[in-house]
This record gives sequence, C-alpha cells and structure tokens, in this order.
Amino acid sequence: MTLTGRQSLLVAGIGEMVVSSGSDTRLVAYGLGSCIALAVWDPRTRVAGLAHFMLPSGPANSTSPVKFIDSGLDAFLKAVEARGAVVNRSLLKAAGAAAMLTVGGGLAIGKRNSDAMNAALAERGLALSASALGGTAGRTVQLEVVDGRFLVKSLSSVTEL
Amino acid sequence: MTLSLSEAGQNVVAGTFRRAMKRAGEALGSMSGQVIDVQTPLLQRCSADEVMTMAGGAESVVLAVYVGIFGSIKGHAVLLFSPLDAHRLAQILLAGLLGPGELPMEATGDVLAYDELELSALQEAGNVTISAFLNELGMHLHEPVQPTPPQVVIEMAGAVLDAVLLDLVSDADEMLAAKTTFSEGGRAIDGTLLVLPRADSLRVLLDALGAIGI
Repeated sequence: MTLTGRQSLLVAGIGEMVVSSGSDTRLVAYGLGSCIALAVWDPRTRVAGLAHFMLPSGPANSTSPVKFIDSGLDAFLKAVEARGAVVNRSLLKAAGAAAMLTVGGGLAIGKRNSDAMNAALAERGLALSASALGGTAGRTVQLEVVDGRFLVKSLSSVTEL
Repeated sequence: MTLSLSEAGQNVVAGTFRRAMKRAGEALGSMSGQVIDVQTPLLQRCSADEVMTMAGGAESVVLAVYVGIFGSIKGHAVLLFSPLDAHRLAQILLAGLLGPGELPMEATGDVLAYDELELSALQEAGNVTISAFLNELGMHLHEPVQPTPPQVVIEMAGAVLDAVLLDLVSDADEMLAAKTTFSEGGRAIDGTLLVLPRADSLRVLLDALGAIGI
C-alpha cells in the first residue's frame, strides 16, 4: 500500500477503531477475513472513521472498544460524531465477513457478522450505501479522509466502493 | 474465562508443547527428507493483535494449512509458510515422490499460483506435521486429540486467522498461543506452527498435565 510523502496512516487493528479529520490521513484495516470493517465519512465536515469489528455480540467488558457489533457500534458512531461528523448524512460502507475456513463446521462467523451489522444499522435508521461482504476472499480496506474514497483490496483485485 | 497459571505450571505446559512441536518438526523432516531445525517454542498469553504479529502481520500473504483440533482438547492449529517457501517445500516433497524429470511444475512467475499436486503435497505436509504434534500431546494427556481434515488457504494472514481468533476470544480478550519456527537450512524454508487451544480446553490440558495447583 503506497503512501505519498505527506500522508499519514492510521491502522484499525482487530477490535479497534480509528477516527480522523486530518486531510492527509488514510485509515486502514488489514487482512479482514470473517471480521467486518465499517467506514463512516461525512462529506460536509470530512471526518472519517473506520472500525474493525470481530463478532456480532458479547459481554461489554472487553478491553477492545469495537470487538462486538452490539456493544461497539454506538461507541464507534459516538466517537465519529465527537470529532465533528453527523452520522445521519454520512456515507456508511462495509467490507469483510467472508467465510475463510470450511473445515470443522466452518466457523461461519462471517455471515453472522454481516447480518448483525445490517440489523444494527437498521435499528438506528441507518443503512450501508455500499458494501463488499461475504465470499471467500480476505480483504484489506482503506478510507481516504480527504475525499471519502473507500478501496477494498483482495489478493486478486482492487475495487472502489 | 481466566485461568492463572503458576510459573511451575507454565513450565509443565511449555515442556509438553516443546516436545510435541519437536515431534511435529521431525515429522515434517522425515516427510521431506530434510533436516529440520525446530526453534524453541514460544508459549504465551496474548491478544488477537499479538497473534497476528506472531503470524507475520495481518497483511502478509501466506500459504496456510489449517487443522481444527477436537477430542479432549479443542482449538486450532495453523502451519504457515511464505508463498515462496511453500513452493520450495512443495518441490522438495514432490521430487521425493515423483523422481527427477517428472516434476509437473513450470515456473509461472506468479508466486501465488500453485498446481494441484503442489497444494496436495503441502496439505499433506501440514496434516502430517500437525498430527504429529497432536499425537504427542495426546500421549501426555492419555486421551486422544484429533485433527479435522486439513484445509489449504493462500491469503493474507489476518484473513486466515481472524475466524480462528473469533472462536477463541468471544468471552475473553486473551488466549494461549504456542508458536515455533521450522527451518530447513540448505534451501532456507521457514514455516511457522501456531497452536491455539480454546479457553475451555485449558483446564483439561492443565489438569491432565498435573499443572494445576503446582
């Protein structure tokens, strides 16, 4: 992933979120398999956030703020709003939730993650404007804070959503 | 689930994993006809992010052989190679099987392209290696520990491992991870074996090894 000299990179590790209003900043989540990345970008204030969720639900006592969609989504949306975004007018895009392993019962968490994300957004009156969910390929995603460009990269392709 | 482990208890578990990982390296060595060096295994509690680092980083591209573990202990095992090292290992394995002049592979220039024979050889290498580990572990536990059929995946390490990690961290933030590196000196092939028992299997493991309360 190439960066121009002046760009800075904020990485959302597994179970983590990053939020920025820096016009020279790129937000990235590497190597998503069954995990799901949610990108939020407000075109008016140019505030962006990227969260790397792991599971649909679980106890809220985790040290990772966005480990679970049910307890982490509000925390993520609040963090983006605190930086100056208005979620209702923002573009929401998601990628990930693939089924990587098929042996041993399949660990079919990817499908549960995409269902949980769509349901949790709908409960809040929100919806994804674009998504690359499911399938069997891993993905790395990047969100440009300056213009909201959201790229989804697999080993065989690069797609802009 | 949190299970605190005394230093002595940790040593018992580490000793068992060390022997089992050595056995795994020997199995890979005897399959490939090479001398395989087995690095002293690292056994530690770590977060999901730390496991990604152990695997070379979430975005590093790997050929992974995944084997699920069931029986008295449940969990996951993954044998990881860089794409180039996986090709080298496949060549060695197939040369031993097919003899000179029969190798089907032509260099295509695409390091991520493997033909069926290569994939099958690598899948079997992962199967043999991880089964050797589990057999040795089963002997110490006096109970069988069984592998699922192996699955080969060529992907970003993060994508291969995250489903496994999700299964492990649903009710805890940390897991026990064991890692070793196999090296074949002459052709410089490095492989990483990660073994990740489920939290609810840790007590069984520690009980069976007599590591609780020491």
